[in-house]
Amino acid sequence: MKEEESLEKLKNAILKGDPNKAIDFVNKSIKMGIKIEDILNKAILKGAEEAGNLYENGEYFLPDLLMTGDAINVATETLKNTLNEKSEIKSRGTILIGTVQGDIHDIGKSLVISLLRGQGFEVVDLGSDVPPEEFLRKAKEIKPNLIGLSGLMTMSISKMVETVNLLKNENIKSRIIIGGGILSKESCEMIGADDFAKDGWEGIKKINNLICM
Amino acid sequence: MTKDWVASVNRIFRTISGSKRVDKVPFLAFAGEQMICRVTGKTVRELYSSPKVYANAIITTFEFLNTDSINVPSAYAGPSEALAFAEANNKLDAIKWFDYQPLMCKQGEICKTEEDIEKLEIPDHGMNNLWKNSLLAAKMINEKTKFPQVISLSIWSVVQELRGIEAYKDMRRNPDLLLQLCEKIYESQMDIYENWLEIVGMPPNVFIAGYAFNRHMMSFKDSMRYEGQFIKRMMEKIKVPFMLHNCGTSPYFTEVVKEINFIAVNGSHPLDIEYWIDFKKKYPKIVIIGANIDVSREMLTGTPSDVEKKVKENILNLAPGGRYICCPVCSLPWGVPLPNILAIPKAIEKYGHYPIKIS
Repeated sequence: MKEEESLEKLKNAILKGDPNKAIDFVNKSIKMGIKIEDILNKAILKGAEEAGNLYENGEYFLPDLLMTGDAINVATETLKNTLNEKSEIKSRGTILIGTVQGDIHDIGKSLVISLLRGQGFEVVDLGSDVPPEEFLRKAKEIKPNLIGLSGLMTMSISKMVETVNLLKNENIKSRIIIGGGILSKESCEMIGADDFAKDGWEGIKKINNLICM
Repeated sequence: MTKDWVASVNRIFRTISGSKRVDKVPFLAFAGEQMICRVTGKTVRELYSSPKVYANAIITTFEFLNTDSINVPSAYAGPSEALAFAEANNKLDAIKWFDYQPLMCKQGEICKTEEDIEKLEIPDHGMNNLWKNSLLAAKMINEKTKFPQVISLSIWSVVQELRGIEAYKDMRRNPDLLLQLCEKIYESQMDIYENWLEIVGMPPNVFIAGYAFNRHMMSFKDSMRYEGQFIKRMMEKIKVPFMLHNCGTSPYFTEVVKEINFIAVNGSHPLDIEYWIDFKKKYPKIVIIGANIDVSREMLTGTPSDVEKKVKENILNLAPGGRYICCPVCSLPWGVPLPNILAIPKAIEKYGHYPIKIS
């Protein structure tokens, strides 16, 4: 099997959300001596990108993105473990994420975390029903590039305001994004976040933009 | 009681049936436990502790908000149904209570494994305190206001509570398991209906919280497979008109009404009024409950005057011809200024009398 063929098969395994095949082709690619950078960029991230395009074109849906996310995560882990060279896969940044206090919904947040990890971000998940003080404590500790506040319910908005105010008053410099289907540009401005996303995929794109700014 | 509920009953149900004998556009609002706590000063546990306390608090709140609708927020197939499943399956750790907002379920805790789904016990809602008190409160509201209470049922909303994000992966890796869960939830929903019949009486309508009908969640084919087919089965058994609610950002309203005979649709999206104008043209016999008065925009950050403008826009575009119920796009959050809520019935009074005369 040629180098291109192996990478193509790995990319397809990612795209189809097949974790077993993804592990298999990562191992085969390593054995063939393909550079880690190429395995990551030309197969794993390429598969993630194509899955995103299919989602935007209405050919993929949330279940497909989640399966792709799982395949990306196991492929990346295999790459790290096999080589025991974690430094070769550099983190693209650290993201602190959690569902705000009073809300314990986490489907959108889980999707975002899965795909962010697959794209090479370090993600610290505080879970759900997270008090503002806990966001602050962890932000001080890990100094993330970005903080993501998630909330499904309309009532989450007031907790987002409280959390963002606390973080800003305590001089936390990380960029802040809020996520939830009920949010709008106006509520984002009121809350004081840098940006907002109405669904998980939009969140991924906006987080990438905010981190690159 | 300070309100003439009979006028509201006529306004709402005549609008739903497409009657021309409607005096003005009805006002419907989703006021959940949070709003009831805010208006009455009671905690959620106090509300749930007695049907009488709960019914009176609900009536007080809806009368204060001057709505034409009234409902028991916990008699809904979301968190309360998760609680019933948690109790029936000894998984009460999955439930988190709050003082001034409804209880919530840790999504995916109750059906964490395949075995959990296979062994899942169907709750007996007649034995569940919250459901019992909610249904008794609904009965008292029926009696006091003469506003017949509408039953709310769902499949996918409950799937999300019980199975969480794994449900979406099941669609691709184990669809039969997911269908097994949907079947059990269907059975449980029918148990709610049986209890409703016994305690509250025959509902005038069924309000379906159809969370699957959303492009962001799944394909339309999957939404029909995991929710639509069960709604069709409910319709065969419950012979009253059904209404559809979806609060996703990309609802399949135009697709689903071709497949399932809903009498009304209600959603929090799209927020573009043109979508709803077009919907009304295509489906003039389907009642629109909405359409774009945004609880996170003008309601939350605007003024009563901003809300009035939005209500006027909605009435101007959707009320002529009838079959329109004015309603903010989602449940009213804690922080919405009360004058902004009260601006809706005031604006309806100003612009919403039939025949609509604004231009």
